[in-house]
Amino acid sequence: MKNNILVIGGGPAGLEASANLKRLGYNVILIEKDKQLGGHLAKWDRLFPDGVSARQTLNALLEEVSGVNCFTETQLQSINVLDKSYNAILSNGITVLADAVLLASGFDLFKAEKKEEYGYGIYEGVITNADLEEAFREKKLPSKQPQAIGFVHCVGSRDEKAGNPACSKVCCATAVKQACEVKEVYPDADVYCFYMDLRMFGRHYEDLYLKAQKEFGIRFIRGRVSEVAETADGRLQVKAEDTLSSKPLRVSLDMLVLMAGMRPSESGKTVGRQLNLTTEEDGFFSSADNLLEIQRSKLPGFFYAGACTGAKTLPDTLHEARSAAIEIDRYIKEKFSEK
Amino acid sequence: MISILISAVQPVTPEGIIDRYPNSYNHFVLPFVIGISFILVYLLIGLIRVLYHLTGEDRIKLLKSLFIPKTALKNLKDLFCDCLLHTKIWKRKPLLGYMHSAIALGWFLLIIVGHLEVYIFAPRHLEGITEGSLYYPIFYRFFIWINPAHETLRGTVFFFIMDLLLLYVLSGIGLAMFKRVRSIALGMRHTTKPSLADRVALYCLWAIFPLRLLAESFTADLSGGSFLTKPMNWMFKAFFGNELNFMPTWWAYSICLGLFFLAMPFSRYMHILTEPLLILMRNAGLKVRKPRKGFAEAEIYACSSCGLCIDACPMNSQKKNLKYSSVYFIRFLRRHNNRRINEIADKCLMCGKCAAICPVGVNSPEIRRVQRETLNNSINYDYSYLDSIAQTAKPENAEASAEGKVLYFAGCMSHLTPKIIKSVESLMKASGTEWEFLDKDKGICCGRPQMLAGKTQAARKAIQANKALIEASGCKTLLLSCPICLKVFKEEYGLKGIEILHYTQFIDRLAKEGKITLEKGTEAIVYHDPCELGRGCGIYNEPRNVLSAVGDLKKAPKERDESVCCGYSLGSMTLDEKDRAKIAEHSVDNLMAANPDCIVTACPMCYRAIRSKSPVPVKDFAEAVVENIKPSKTKK
Repeated sequence: MKNNILVIGGGPAGLEASANLKRLGYNVILIEKDKQLGGHLAKWDRLFPDGVSARQTLNALLEEVSGVNCFTETQLQSINVLDKSYNAILSNGITVLADAVLLASGFDLFKAEKKEEYGYGIYEGVITNADLEEAFREKKLPSKQPQAIGFVHCVGSRDEKAGNPACSKVCCATAVKQACEVKEVYPDADVYCFYMDLRMFGRHYEDLYLKAQKEFGIRFIRGRVSEVAETADGRLQVKAEDTLSSKPLRVSLDMLVLMAGMRPSESGKTVGRQLNLTTEEDGFFSSADNLLEIQRSKLPGFFYAGACTGAKTLPDTLHEARSAAIEIDRYIKEKFSEK
Repeated sequence: MISILISAVQPVTPEGIIDRYPNSYNHFVLPFVIGISFILVYLLIGLIRVLYHLTGEDRIKLLKSLFIPKTALKNLKDLFCDCLLHTKIWKRKPLLGYMHSAIALGWFLLIIVGHLEVYIFAPRHLEGITEGSLYYPIFYRFFIWINPAHETLRGTVFFFIMDLLLLYVLSGIGLAMFKRVRSIALGMRHTTKPSLADRVALYCLWAIFPLRLLAESFTADLSGGSFLTKPMNWMFKAFFGNELNFMPTWWAYSICLGLFFLAMPFSRYMHILTEPLLILMRNAGLKVRKPRKGFAEAEIYACSSCGLCIDACPMNSQKKNLKYSSVYFIRFLRRHNNRRINEIADKCLMCGKCAAICPVGVNSPEIRRVQRETLNNSINYDYSYLDSIAQTAKPENAEASAEGKVLYFAGCMSHLTPKIIKSVESLMKASGTEWEFLDKDKGICCGRPQMLAGKTQAARKAIQANKALIEASGCKTLLLSCPICLKVFKEEYGLKGIEILHYTQFIDRLAKEGKITLEKGTEAIVYHDPCELGRGCGIYNEPRNVLSAVGDLKKAPKERDESVCCGYSLGSMTLDEKDRAKIAEHSVDNLMAANPDCIVTACPMCYRAIRSKSPVPVKDFAEAVVENIKPSKTKK
């Protein structure tokens, strides 16, 4: 008899883990609360560092999960810990008796309107990273040529007042990528990036940064934006500090893109409450061990993959999904072998 | 008042009253005499010290204030209400108020009536120190013998009054003892830990009145007594058979009094004697200039260490922060514990609640602020930007037409909450107000954050530059949306001929003058009093007037001067983010108890803090108003 594995969340982590678990011979049930699979990846246009299409990447992941029982628009209604397994009732009425559960509930984007000083939801020209990706994907960029565009790094990340002192890891590279893409569309516009420090840690990220400066002439300003106001002619006036020249700075922009960071997802929290899963101070779930057992939770048979245990890049998420599959395989073999 | 009373009753020398001791002296009075002499000398030196440390200007101000009829009247009222009746405590916690007034007023009246009795029946003993005027009235009942054949009605009335007063005080002492065991019963969650001197004075205070009762009961058959002392005298006779027991009790009574006075300067009970001085100095309008000297010293010694401020302090939503309460700040200041003083001075949010509820009115946030001033401040600030902004103040702005215009200063916090500025803009439009925006593009800090940080010199620079800009504008009304700015504009700017208004006042006025018409919605609103607006500037009614016209205004359990700080005040230098978040939660809990549909506040800081924790929508005051303005058809 095949063991049932329940995977919660149909983003990259959930998809990759499901594909691997299926290959290992398990009966995988994948649930996703949205209409479509893919999570944030489905909403993105292109990916750093190489600018490959998000759609193609997602399609590759989706191909692998053929044969997996995928239930979209389905949430976990309730879950109980049994002697050796989990009894999960889904919102579509199906009951699953799972020998292991993988939580891949990912992240929510920080709600940029919380940083009211940046004027998201108040001024028309202020958008988020996700809004810009959608505009690229739907080809809905404003046709009127903007004269100046700004990117604000670390919106809701590394910001104790916003409740998140941690780095969201992806925003620096995303901002640089998006800055280049915007410059490609509007070659005459001045493009600024307001950053605290650039965390271009991954392979080719630094190249991207150099390219942005040399080829695209993006202007990098080290300092946080303090506030955004509207000028009489409807443009955005941005006040910031240039900490390299130790001077306050003000620029008029037509578009300001806020790099909203990663927060623990609300749907993940609902699952966490049902099982009393522990979280760390940052709100993300706590692993059994932060070095050796990142994929394990404190509950036997309950595993994590992806951004539900903290901000991660896409490659990191995929690694975790694969190692979670291996961990689950090991757990099942140890627990159920004598049967 | 007392002198009128005395002159009405002419002294007589009744024949039935005879001194039992020819010299009117007995060794047992010695402990009391030592104690009272010590405290009188100590008080005199203390008074000279406090006056010496005042600036000359303040000394003259204090002296003059005593002769200004209005201030003198207020002094009398405050002395009576605060020192004797304790009306402030009555209002908050009636049982605690009763306890205090029983001990204070009761004791005070015992002394006054006791002296009156001596003045009437044995006036010789008030004539000078050699006649025992220091102790004789206190131990009157010991020294005299009243011939029962000559008892008068007047004498009996005095006996009755004295017994009644003693009973009154004893009821207070009884409550005080009970409070030590169960403070919560009298409405206090946390109370202070007493020091050694506190304990000595406390136990003496507890013992004084029961001992007095015993002592006077033992001699009641000789010196007279009433419903309390007489029956006890008969009872003692029945039990003990002889009258030899009275000496030890009179000794014990005297020793307790003496010990109490000796311990007093080192204990919390010094507040009894210092408070009158504090009242006079406060009513004279003196300000704290040094954190440990002059006026501040009077405040420090006037602190009764009661600990009411512990429960009031918003930081104490977490028990670990109890140590930052004002009572401990004052205690460490009194003991010159410099390390702790600075730490505590820096933590405070300066919300002012401790000062608002303090029964003796010690303004400890102000002392904390002055303490911050004393810290070494070696940072060189760059003020060059002030000049560049000042240049934009064009003299042609100062037209005659500007006079009727309203000058709006948003301040940095309103700029960080653009919704507020947008709401103010639409309000100006809707009401047809002519206005200028002082800091639309470039602005200078109002100076309040520097003031709070104790960087008074830095604040002065900003204040000076802003003042010049405001005066150059020619406008006669200054409008502010941030109460933090409001306080410093009102207190430190000295803008002559310019009216300074918070937008809550301004909108209230617009509504009253009919320039805007408000539509009453159905939303249940609860209003959060910002510290700087309420306790800081005393503005409580205007926002409520307006809000009750736009919705169904609910009451939070703690509001007005008891409102709970949102936790994000600029006042604290070192309180960390997590502690602030906890305070914000606590503040929101208080507001949510009213079960509102939305929370409204009138401070950009509070607005941001409360919004981060509130389960219901949070609106800025102007935003709530603008949403409910009825569009008028007849616009001028």
